[in-house]
Amino acid sequence: MATRWFGAPVKRNEDPRLLTGQGLFVDDVQLPGMLHAAVLRSPHAHARVLRVDVRRAAEHPDVVLVLTHRDLPPGLREPLPKLIPHPDLKHHKTQYALASDKVRHVGEPVAFVVATSRYAAEDALDLIEVDYEPLPAVVDLEEAAAGRPALVHEDIGTNVAAHSVQRVGDYEAARARADLVLARRFVVDRGCASPIETRGVVASWDARTRQLTVWDSTQAPIPIRNGLASLFGLAQKDVRVIAPDVGGGFGPKIMMFYPEEVLVPLAAIRLGRPVKWIEDRREHFLATNHERTQIHDAELALDREGHILGVRTVFLHDAGAYIPYGLIVPIVAECTLPGPYRIPNYHAEFRAVFTNKTIVSPYRGAGRPHGVFVMERLLDLAARELSLDRAEIRRRNFIQPDEFPYHVGLLYQDNAPLVYDSGNYPAALERALEAVGYDRWPEEKARYRSEGRRVGLGFACYVEGSGIGPYEGCRVTVEPSGKVYVATGVGTQGQGHYTSLAQVVADALGVDVRNVHVVTGDTEAFGWGTGTFASRAAVVAGSAAHLAAQAVRQKALQVAASLLEASPEDLELSEDQVRVRGAPARAVSLAEVARAANPLRGVIPAEWEGPGLEATRYFAPPRGTFSHGVHAALVEVDPETATIRFLKYVVVHDCGVVLNPLILDGQIHGGVAQGIGGSFFERLVYDPQGQLLSGSFLDFQIPTAMEIPEIEVHHQETPSPLNPLGAKGAGEGGVIPVPAVLAQALEDALDDLDLEITQMPLHPDALFGLIQNAPRRRS
Amino acid sequence: MRIEGNETLHAPRERVWALLEDPQALASCTPGMQELKPVGPDEFEAVLSLGIAAVRGTYKGKLRITERTPPERYAVQVEGSSAVGFVRATGLLELEDRGPETGVRWSGDVQVGGALTIGSRMIPGIARMLAGQFFQCLDRKLQEGSA
Repeated sequence: MATRWFGAPVKRNEDPRLLTGQGLFVDDVQLPGMLHAAVLRSPHAHARVLRVDVRRAAEHPDVVLVLTHRDLPPGLREPLPKLIPHPDLKHHKTQYALASDKVRHVGEPVAFVVATSRYAAEDALDLIEVDYEPLPAVVDLEEAAAGRPALVHEDIGTNVAAHSVQRVGDYEAARARADLVLARRFVVDRGCASPIETRGVVASWDARTRQLTVWDSTQAPIPIRNGLASLFGLAQKDVRVIAPDVGGGFGPKIMMFYPEEVLVPLAAIRLGRPVKWIEDRREHFLATNHERTQIHDAELALDREGHILGVRTVFLHDAGAYIPYGLIVPIVAECTLPGPYRIPNYHAEFRAVFTNKTIVSPYRGAGRPHGVFVMERLLDLAARELSLDRAEIRRRNFIQPDEFPYHVGLLYQDNAPLVYDSGNYPAALERALEAVGYDRWPEEKARYRSEGRRVGLGFACYVEGSGIGPYEGCRVTVEPSGKVYVATGVGTQGQGHYTSLAQVVADALGVDVRNVHVVTGDTEAFGWGTGTFASRAAVVAGSAAHLAAQAVRQKALQVAASLLEASPEDLELSEDQVRVRGAPARAVSLAEVARAANPLRGVIPAEWEGPGLEATRYFAPPRGTFSHGVHAALVEVDPETATIRFLKYVVVHDCGVVLNPLILDGQIHGGVAQGIGGSFFERLVYDPQGQLLSGSFLDFQIPTAMEIPEIEVHHQETPSPLNPLGAKGAGEGGVIPVPAVLAQALEDALDDLDLEITQMPLHPDALFGLIQNAPRRRS
Repeated sequence: MRIEGNETLHAPRERVWALLEDPQALASCTPGMQELKPVGPDEFEAVLSLGIAAVRGTYKGKLRITERTPPERYAVQVEGSSAVGFVRATGLLELEDRGPETGVRWSGDVQVGGALTIGSRMIPGIARMLAGQFFQCLDRKLQEGSA
């Protein structure tokens, strides 16, 4: 087949629409008679709810409905569904749609008001009186694990939701024969994604057809539809969930359910009128999931040549007030830690702990930055102890290109064995070192130093699990116009699926990519799928699109063969035509073939398997596929102000066969920017009472173009054997190693100080403290 | 968060103490105080209208005197809530006899929640400003009284 589009830097089909303001985001949905909702949220991190008095709010002339816990139908008075169970998750606590007798984090919904305008709804919130009895807030993670100063969920008698251990080999024995054992504590603190578009839900109920339509800024429209159907006792076919354009998701928009996702439809059904709720930024900081706090006590055992004998990490994971999403983040963290290295003995053990803070669920990286930070930091410290070059210690431990498939010996987040499918780790490191100028770095660094500048070089390696199952599907249709329509249920959050999936299909059918129209995120267009998460959409939905397009291609050849009186094997598809190879005059347009495939009279041959140029196929990968890469950077630090500047940033990324290098570069650029933000500028600070002190962009400082350097991206392509495209996921590689890169670079820049960076994120004042307190290194 | 300060009032300690025992005087000198109603021994209900950082609100709450050692020490507990959040605070006043003057050492422990936390970095500064206004007003009353 002619590969014109697949792999080419095709400009995004969706951009003309999005860049001219023609996008459809949830807040763009305007329906006649639409009402507006606002949510009363707990100002306390931990309190008993003694009394909720909504009388004055209900009397407000513009208010049409006020809901508290007791007003919910019986099914919705129960905790919301448990998403992803796990045998080690003993206490799978989920939140209520509206708090019943207790609130467990600031921002937890207590009451829900629907009014004729958002303005009136917000005013009515002020009229609701709630008596709280404040309880001691569980904020510190280690204290929480010990059950102090209170229990977030009294009925389970502990704050520990899960205790989980995975072992490879025998770490204790490896430690006993090691020449060097390094032990350190590493702390990664909270962060959040800050998408431009906050969450939002619009729901509309048609009482005559008894059909519910919901527009939801979600990464998983089909699971939301299935869940709503079940909660409201409706057939799945009578619930339509549309995730129109989603203005960034990054993981937290795949919760199912956020309370508002059931409260808005409930209100719409009860009132028989459309209801809209759009989250404001203040709510977003408190009510949309966070991630990242983990405390790792880690050990690395090595021989004197720097070969890894074993690794142990024992860590605490801050789950927040509830744990609907299960153990995905800590499992991904422990499974990402081994990275590209041979680790014969590994002990990973964690406790997931409830605290009185916003719920945690995966956010771009999803445990991977933690694992990489711990492993790369341990190797840096070991290189220092053993007087080994930091690149050399990595070279000595890499899994080699001939060792794939490589069994790590753990169970991954999909409960399948963790097996790396393919890769070339040494080559990626050498390419990154060359691009950043590692060989001549000592002279460069000395030159900077002679100018009074402190510049450090840092690099870090990672393996990125992606492309997990269970499945996605795709339907490809050639309409009688010759235009191609592609429908999938995967959903999209701005990653360019309208283009990348179109490229896959365009090549199979020999049409222009601009004539391939992709629909995703509408359960009416395609009703089977799981969602866009874990860097899986291009891999899994892309493979389904490939299989469906190949099936349509076969059918087009069959139908055209009968029109052209030729054998299907002698035909080719290109430029919207089916042609007899070597006889270009004998051709028929794809549009004619589509019309012929759906005749009004006559007979359809059995081998056509039905009318029309259409096919639906599913792709279910046996397990995840593993991308990898190396980031390297030059970072200048001003020790007086502890501010930093990236002078150079290099990414060598291997995500298998590249569908669209332009889109891939965009993914990586955005990821690196988010990684830099999450490593040095953004932080979520809680006070001892569990109040979020940095809950606005005044204090939570997302980086701007001033802080983000030019990013030089190199693509290495080691195909995956696990899918027909050879593709791997690319959504998170930009973020994952940034904390490790920054830490190494800062230590390099400040190498006259005895400085160890073991915490992330840093911030100028944290770095300033480290610089002030570090003793000068004895030379 | 903990905040503290020192002030000097230009009257002898006994007179300062007497003024501090007068709910009317306290109410009229507390910035934003709209209502102070006794509901029990050493317990008051208060309505206060205040702007804290960018957030202005009307707070309803309780004020309780938790300790009084005439004429030396005076401890209060305050709880208030409004649509924009809540405030919980404890405060301690210590009066030092300096003859014709009285030294006041005050300290407080303040917790805020809700939308107020957005501006919480500014609370110590605002508290100091409000305390300054409070004591200036008391001082004015003491001087008027002696004139």
